[in-house]
Amino acid sequence: MNFNTQMKLVAIGALVVLTGCTTQGIYNTPIEDRSTTRPQQESNGVVTPVDITTGVTVTPVAPSPVFRPQRGDSTSEENSVGTSVPVAPKVVLQSKQNPAAVALLATARKQTNNGQLRSAQTSLQRAQRIAPKDPEVYYSLADTHRRLGEFLQAEQVALKGVGIAQGQSTKLRRLWQLIASIRTDAGDLEGADKAAAVARRY
Amino acid sequence: MNKKRTPAKKTSRKRTAKPQAKKSLWRSFGVFLLKLTLIGAVIGSIGLIYLDAQIRQQFEGKRWALPAKVFARPLELYSGLAISTKDVKVELAGLGYQLVSKATQPGQAEIAKRRIRVYTRGFEFPDGLERSQKLLLDFKGEQLSRIRNSKGQTVNLARLEPVLIGGIYPQNNEDRDLIRLDEAPTSLTDALISIEDQSYYDHFGVSPKGIARAMWVNLRVGRFVQGGSTLTQQLIKNFYLTSDRTLARKLMEIPMAILLDFHYSKDEILEAYLNEVYLGQEGSRAIHGFGLAAQYYFSQPLQELKLSQVALLAGMVKGPSFYDPRRHPERAKKRRDLVLRVLRDEGKISEDIYQKTIKKSLGVVKQKSLLKGAYPAYLDLVKRQLRESYHEEDLRTEGLRVFTGLNPIVQAKAETALVSTIKSLEKRYGKRAANLEGSMVVTDPQTGEVLSIIGGKSTRYEGFNRALDAVRPIGSLVKPAVYLTALENGYSLVSPLNDEPVSVEMPGGQVWEPQNFDKKSHGVVPLHQALARSYNLSTANLGMSLGVDKVIDTMQKLGVSREMDEYPSLLLGAQGLPAVEVATMYQTIAANGFQMPLRAIRMVTDSQGVELSRYPFNVKQTVSAESVHLLQYAMQEVAREGTARSVYSHLPSNLNVAGKTGTSNDQRDSWFAGFTGSRLAVVWLGRDDNSALPFTGSGGALKVWTAYMKADKPEPFQAPVPEGVEYLWVDKETGYLSDERCQGAIPVPFQNGSKPQYRVDCGVEPVQNSESKPLDWFRRWFRQE
Repeated sequence: MNFNTQMKLVAIGALVVLTGCTTQGIYNTPIEDRSTTRPQQESNGVVTPVDITTGVTVTPVAPSPVFRPQRGDSTSEENSVGTSVPVAPKVVLQSKQNPAAVALLATARKQTNNGQLRSAQTSLQRAQRIAPKDPEVYYSLADTHRRLGEFLQAEQVALKGVGIAQGQSTKLRRLWQLIASIRTDAGDLEGADKAAAVARRY
Repeated sequence: MNKKRTPAKKTSRKRTAKPQAKKSLWRSFGVFLLKLTLIGAVIGSIGLIYLDAQIRQQFEGKRWALPAKVFARPLELYSGLAISTKDVKVELAGLGYQLVSKATQPGQAEIAKRRIRVYTRGFEFPDGLERSQKLLLDFKGEQLSRIRNSKGQTVNLARLEPVLIGGIYPQNNEDRDLIRLDEAPTSLTDALISIEDQSYYDHFGVSPKGIARAMWVNLRVGRFVQGGSTLTQQLIKNFYLTSDRTLARKLMEIPMAILLDFHYSKDEILEAYLNEVYLGQEGSRAIHGFGLAAQYYFSQPLQELKLSQVALLAGMVKGPSFYDPRRHPERAKKRRDLVLRVLRDEGKISEDIYQKTIKKSLGVVKQKSLLKGAYPAYLDLVKRQLRESYHEEDLRTEGLRVFTGLNPIVQAKAETALVSTIKSLEKRYGKRAANLEGSMVVTDPQTGEVLSIIGGKSTRYEGFNRALDAVRPIGSLVKPAVYLTALENGYSLVSPLNDEPVSVEMPGGQVWEPQNFDKKSHGVVPLHQALARSYNLSTANLGMSLGVDKVIDTMQKLGVSREMDEYPSLLLGAQGLPAVEVATMYQTIAANGFQMPLRAIRMVTDSQGVELSRYPFNVKQTVSAESVHLLQYAMQEVAREGTARSVYSHLPSNLNVAGKTGTSNDQRDSWFAGFTGSRLAVVWLGRDDNSALPFTGSGGALKVWTAYMKADKPEPFQAPVPEGVEYLWVDKETGYLSDERCQGAIPVPFQNGSKPQYRVDCGVEPVQNSESKPLDWFRRWFRQE
């Protein structure tokens, strides 16, 4: 940070301290107020970030402290995160592979071994419709594309599989290894190395 | 010829010379006649040879222009499939299965409360034969829990035949399903021969006895009642000749019939007859052949028809319109009973069977229950996609088989949701909601397959397809693209946005001054909330600072391919799109940034089942999975506490609906686009004359969407966290980092390197959310390991 910036920050900071005491938070807005137990001592003077176009996120320059009570010491609804939390981020795991999908994957393997790659593709797409969250389906589908020489599609399908397999390290390793071999086949050796490196992380 | 000529000459020589002048006149006349006969004979022979060639060429070549047949997706049966007995019933009804107390032949099913026994018909799929078998399906709740075959063994996977949903017809609009003679029940050929041409297997193409008898009958009655045409003649008439009733045509008919009979076996001719004969009319579509007629009148394959049904079809040959069992059931029944009587009199059926059969009702299905013609909007999309790679002529004549992704169960539920919601809106708002129209597109967000399309509230109307062609301003449906652009450019979900008035001077002096729906400004709001509550001012400010061109760029990455004008008003949805393009755009969001073309067709084969083209699952990542994950979070907030929060009063809370409401300027369009784990649906409501509606996106389209999802019970949306995204506990009000143990803290996803700098203080050591320690405990928690 150069001297100029520091000076600017100091100046803005001073401004914030002056104006801050009047505001409720960085969002001085009629947000639904569910905290019925807001402590009185709170004086959270904060300013909105000055420049949102720089691509920097929440950077209040000199926030005055914001205090919140802890959960668990009262029975208020604030204790639970409640339904207002939009997403429960999950690593979606298939508890058990669907027997129908397993059967189709086996058929596809047989077809692949017999060189019937288009038939294998048909079986795998059938499997995908039945078990669209099974990473194995994407692995095999991508591999079929690779064998057909459709490298671009092979890689994309494998990457789609990566998205689905998040959190399942064995599957991720296999998929990244596949991506490495797809890239090798496509002549992209540098990309293959990168993929292999990712595979080793799992 | 020579033989005739010689005696004539001899005679002339014997004549005396006296009346020579007279004689020579006679003679020259005779010669003239002879020459004429000769020429006639030569021309006749040439004509006959020509006729013969023509008959053979047409009979042996491609006999008919066969329409392309379009099939719905086959219902895949496997344990764990989310489907109710009621859904299976819909599917079986579409396939024309008979519900019986004991299924003993293909095409029959027994339905109990939690169990269905179905005797499938089998089907030759392009990827192999699905054989006909008896299956016992057990249901648990709304799930298929087990499938067993007739030996009691567990079956992993089986599929029903696909419902035939339509065709692409030849210029003459003749539709037919070809059958082989051995596929026709014996009772059909018996009945046909008995009633139309008793000496069929004995005559040589024409039946002098038959003609004499017909003439006798006609003379006795004093008017034309019997034609005396053999089946062969009838075939000639329909197959080769025009329908004009001229003497010339009648004269051609006889030699042609004889020639045909001379060249081909009786069975070959009969088979052609079974496929050629005209048996009904549906609008412009002409129903030809018994194969199609069985489907058209009884919704069953010909092989499965009972004697009473077969007798009716055989009787109808005489006059399909006069004996139309739907319009003139009494006439048709009389005719059918006559056919049965003839069969009894000829000893083909016993008195007992005769008595039993004439007591049966006609058993004709209602035209409306036929699924062919039930999906004009979907077929429209299929045809458009087909025309990109096939000649129109081939589509109409080559008998192609087109396998699509249409799901009749989904379509039925979507139609009910749309039609009933429109009805209740019209009731609620009275005249202000008169002439309301709508369209809808449902897809599978995992595969990109189009499951259902509705082009208007008259779902069987084959006209204006609003889902594909009504280009209407999308209103706030555009906002996810604006916010996604922000998230791709360094913003986070808690970045503060200015919800303050904005005015942009346009070229030409106009000023663009958008307003919020509540006409207020909301100060500084976090990004996720601005989207959830669909604030216009913050969106406009954000979009202007990002640049309209960048937003357009994002829309293109999401799959919108049409030209878009770079006006600021685009930021609030002035751009018009049809529902199907909105679906493409939201599909990419639902698929974590992977763009996939919406697919209606799975595969096209020729009439023999040989693959001609396939439309495989194609993906291309166009937007980063991290940004899309954040956007999905905000779009779920839309449903949790934003403009679409009404969904959860009807849908289970764990469904994790993500979507966006949309209302265009002056409330002319009501939109909702959203997805769950296994379904994505876009709904548009509005009026063809573009007049204002008495409700917004959430008051109209969202209601349709909710009603559909409630009926279809899709899987919940669960997004695995991509690498490069971490969930941090954030103080909801300030956007500062917080802690799980602090009140007002919610978990919010951040892309690496974009986490908030400051934190709130609730008196706990900041153990979480520190850079040095990754959120392993948190991951474990959600990973459910």
